[in-house]
Amino acid sequence: MKTPSVRVLYIDDEENNLEAFKASFRRQYEIYTAISAADGLKILQSVNVQVVIADQKMPNTTGVEFFKSITETFPDPIRILLTGYTDIEALADAINHGHIYRYITKPWNDLELHNSIKNAYDAYKAKIDLRNKVAELEKTNDELNRFIYSISHELRAPLVSVIGIVSLVKMEGLYNSSGEYWSLIETCSNKLDYYIQKTLQYYKNNKTVTDESPVDFKKLISELIDVYSYTDKDTRFTVNVDQKVDFKGDLFRIEVILGNLISNAIKYQKAAELNKKVNIDVEVSKELAQISISDNGMGILNEHLEKIFTQFFKSKVHHGSGLGLFIVKEALNKIEGRISVSSDLNHGTTFKITIPNAK
Amino acid sequence: MQSDNKKVMLIDDNEIDLKINAKLISITKLFEEIIICQSAEEALDYLSRNMNDDDKLPNFILLDIQMPEMDGFEFLEQYKKFSTALTDKCPVAMLSSTLDFGDTQRAEANPYVIKLLKKPLSPKELAELI
Repeated sequence: MKTPSVRVLYIDDEENNLEAFKASFRRQYEIYTAISAADGLKILQSVNVQVVIADQKMPNTTGVEFFKSITETFPDPIRILLTGYTDIEALADAINHGHIYRYITKPWNDLELHNSIKNAYDAYKAKIDLRNKVAELEKTNDELNRFIYSISHELRAPLVSVIGIVSLVKMEGLYNSSGEYWSLIETCSNKLDYYIQKTLQYYKNNKTVTDESPVDFKKLISELIDVYSYTDKDTRFTVNVDQKVDFKGDLFRIEVILGNLISNAIKYQKAAELNKKVNIDVEVSKELAQISISDNGMGILNEHLEKIFTQFFKSKVHHGSGLGLFIVKEALNKIEGRISVSSDLNHGTTFKITIPNAK
Repeated sequence: MQSDNKKVMLIDDNEIDLKINAKLISITKLFEEIIICQSAEEALDYLSRNMNDDDKLPNFILLDIQMPEMDGFEFLEQYKKFSTALTDKCPVAMLSSTLDFGDTQRAEANPYVIKLLKKPLSPKELAELI
């Protein structure tokens, strides 16, 4: 395989060395030579050089001084310093200030120098590749952000119009006018909306950095109950919040966690149950908030308990998205919270969460 | 119903949503008259044209957020330049399908916005506001 064309600049004040270098390496590399630091700089400015080799002992500007002077203007080329055996001070200076990749003693050994140039080029390539990858990732990230924004606006807006039309149909008493078609449209639209909202929650949880803002659990929980019990008014909530100290935490994620659990507690009630109940207890201390949410709903099969937090696990009843509890778990991971669950089939389920107080 | 809830102004670039919301308001009789504006510019134009004509001014504004050229927040920037005689009598509620946390917070922080309503418009929520 032919080696890719590697451009090497060699700076030395001794013409003989430049000639010898050229003679040894011209077949492997594209060689540029300069008799002084000033000449070397001119070449750097016009040619995209990947490896720079400089002699330490030169009049006016030493090799290390030259490398130091180009750290900002030409940070990419990999540097190799050539110097005599005893020049320990130059060596220390080179390592500390010159961003030197290799140090090679004079007179050089062709094989050693050849290997050094090869390695230097690999280092150069790795550096550039990494930079390209980072730029690529930043672009992808940016696109994902825009995608999320467009889901939350463009994609959802027409769907919400459809839901609005269905509610108009209801108000005008036409809901049952075409058999069950309107109710099917309503079910499908609500399901799609639910998926969109959950998908957004998931991505936002992954991307947003955690924040710390004051959390008033009493207020938050009563707002969430309002939102989620909107479609089902049968369930009775008993809420006990013992919050004597301030709590600081990630409001967005705490809202996502409690919202999903409250909505599940309503959704997985027994249809025949006349006395649907959900108890929510919150105890806030300086260290953490302990929250327990229990319902007298259908409960969870013992063998399912392990799986409920995994993505896309769904029960056969009530076809969920398989995302709710997965998102709860992911959000808790981000804020170092914990969750445990206990359940009695046909008697109900209790989720217990602890969230550290960031205050 | 209170007698001062007479006119509502709907500002939305989406014709279908305008149609739905106008119909919903007329069925629920929450307002007697509906002023429909297809853009924020049109709404500003209407307000400045009728600035001194109390009979034509709205008592309530339902404002969409995402609109081309001038969005809901930009409308509010212009809205606050009207006299307090006008703005005091006419509260604004934003009405949007947004789920964006930033939008929600900006709406809550704006002194002229009494609430951010989520689409689809719920007559019950609207009734509670007025």
